[in-house]
Amino acid sequence: MRYLRLLALFFRTELAYELEYRTNLALELLQMVVIVTTSVAAVLVLFNYTTVLNGWDLGAMLVLLGCFYLVQGFGELVLQPSFEKFMEHVRLGTLDFALLKPASAQFLVTLRHFQVVQLAQMGLGAVVVIAGLPRVSTLGPAEAATFVIALVCGFTLIYALLLALSTFAFWFVRIDNLMAIYWSFLDAGRFPVDIYPGWLRVTLSSAVPIGVAVTVPAQAISGRLDLIGLGLLVVGTIAAFFLASWFWRLGLRSYTGASA
Amino acid sequence: MIDVYRALFVGQIQAASQYRVQSILWMLFAVIRPVIFLAAWVAVAGAQGGRVGSYDVRDFAAYYVALSLVANLATSWNSYEFEFEIRMGRLSPKLLRPLHPIHYAVVENIVWKMTTIIPMLVVLGFIAATFDARFRSTPAHLALFVPSVVLGAALAFLAGWVVATTAFWTTRVHAVATLWDRAAFIFAGQIAPLALLPGPLQTIALVLPFGYMLGVPAEILQGAVDVPTAILLIAVQAVWVGIFYALLQVVWRVGVRQYTGVGA
Repeated sequence: MRYLRLLALFFRTELAYELEYRTNLALELLQMVVIVTTSVAAVLVLFNYTTVLNGWDLGAMLVLLGCFYLVQGFGELVLQPSFEKFMEHVRLGTLDFALLKPASAQFLVTLRHFQVVQLAQMGLGAVVVIAGLPRVSTLGPAEAATFVIALVCGFTLIYALLLALSTFAFWFVRIDNLMAIYWSFLDAGRFPVDIYPGWLRVTLSSAVPIGVAVTVPAQAISGRLDLIGLGLLVVGTIAAFFLASWFWRLGLRSYTGASA
Repeated sequence: MIDVYRALFVGQIQAASQYRVQSILWMLFAVIRPVIFLAAWVAVAGAQGGRVGSYDVRDFAAYYVALSLVANLATSWNSYEFEFEIRMGRLSPKLLRPLHPIHYAVVENIVWKMTTIIPMLVVLGFIAATFDARFRSTPAHLALFVPSVVLGAALAFLAGWVVATTAFWTTRVHAVATLWDRAAFIFAGQIAPLALLPGPLQTIALVLPFGYMLGVPAEILQGAVDVPTAILLIAVQAVWVGIFYALLQVVWRVGVRQYTGVGA
């Protein structure tokens, strides 16, 4: 509860900050609309030549693309800004301030900063999901529930991966490049993970679970995810979260502060 | 001028050798999106019995391998850097030197492309093998590819500078650059070979400059167009380079008067 209040506070301050730059805000919104529209256009070009892509029809593909922007939007809403600041704190030694505060350091560091405008990206993603839905299935409560669970798992998987990757900052300090690789891999999530050839598919569904984070929620809402699949996803996500948190605390022990 | 360029080259090569990992990374960025769309087209072709239009699975592989190579050789990132230089006032010292700032960018681009070409070819060889690419190119195509990719790079570079100079007025060039990039996403041959864009989009793509930066050199290298068509396309590329060169002269002259530096 206390953490939710803190989260709301962080969110409000960042919102106030972004509202200072209105023109910039409007331009960013415009860019997002253009980016999402052109991505939908790309899918339509592909479906100009086929009705089905590895078992995904146009409706399912739109749902998937919407999920892609939901997951990417979540990453850019809170994870990217927070983790960038975190790595800077490690480099400058200012992480001390977060560690001294009377709350979980992991929480304070990894969910501290927001790019509020990215909510619009998630909103656009939701619009694309809704646009695809009527072609896929009638949305029952079961599909809606599994979709929400799968999406939360997707967010958590991305969080766990970023947390584990960013832990390397404790030892190597400058790891911008590692993070940049991650963000460029994310782009592969715009298509179902099963279209990629063997080695890439395995990478995208295990080491870099971007494929899972986007593809599985899309399967859930179109009623193609069975309970076993959902169970595996939940168990895997919880395991990934605790493993990544443990690794982060391990890394934290190597943190030496500014002048140590 | 030759001496100036020699000095710039030495400086840039030294600078580039400090950032080896960085350059490998940027190269990865040039590859990842073509591979994504290659996989998508392979899936489409699979659903259609192995062919889409005049392309079969192995043609798609050849096209996207060629496109990655061209993207690596013909992309420049100047518009993003330029915004930074204008916003931070870093352009001021460069303007005081007796050399147009564009020359630094020219050398920087050439050096970057030279240093990444060998790892790039290794990566592309790997992708070509994975997807079993088949090139239809003849020696004539390979000969024509050289001027085509040079013109494509020149066009992308000049156009990038024209986009970047809008920062003189707007300071934030990011929005303009995004619009430009997304137009290129659709019309430059990234989401589909130009020949496969549906009717009206294809017409637009042939009228706009984007396809002449990436798609055209890639199609020539892959051997998708016959030699007379290739020569015609290269002529159009040359015209576009001329147009953007002239445009840059005008925009730069007007824009630089607009520039105030920081604190002015």
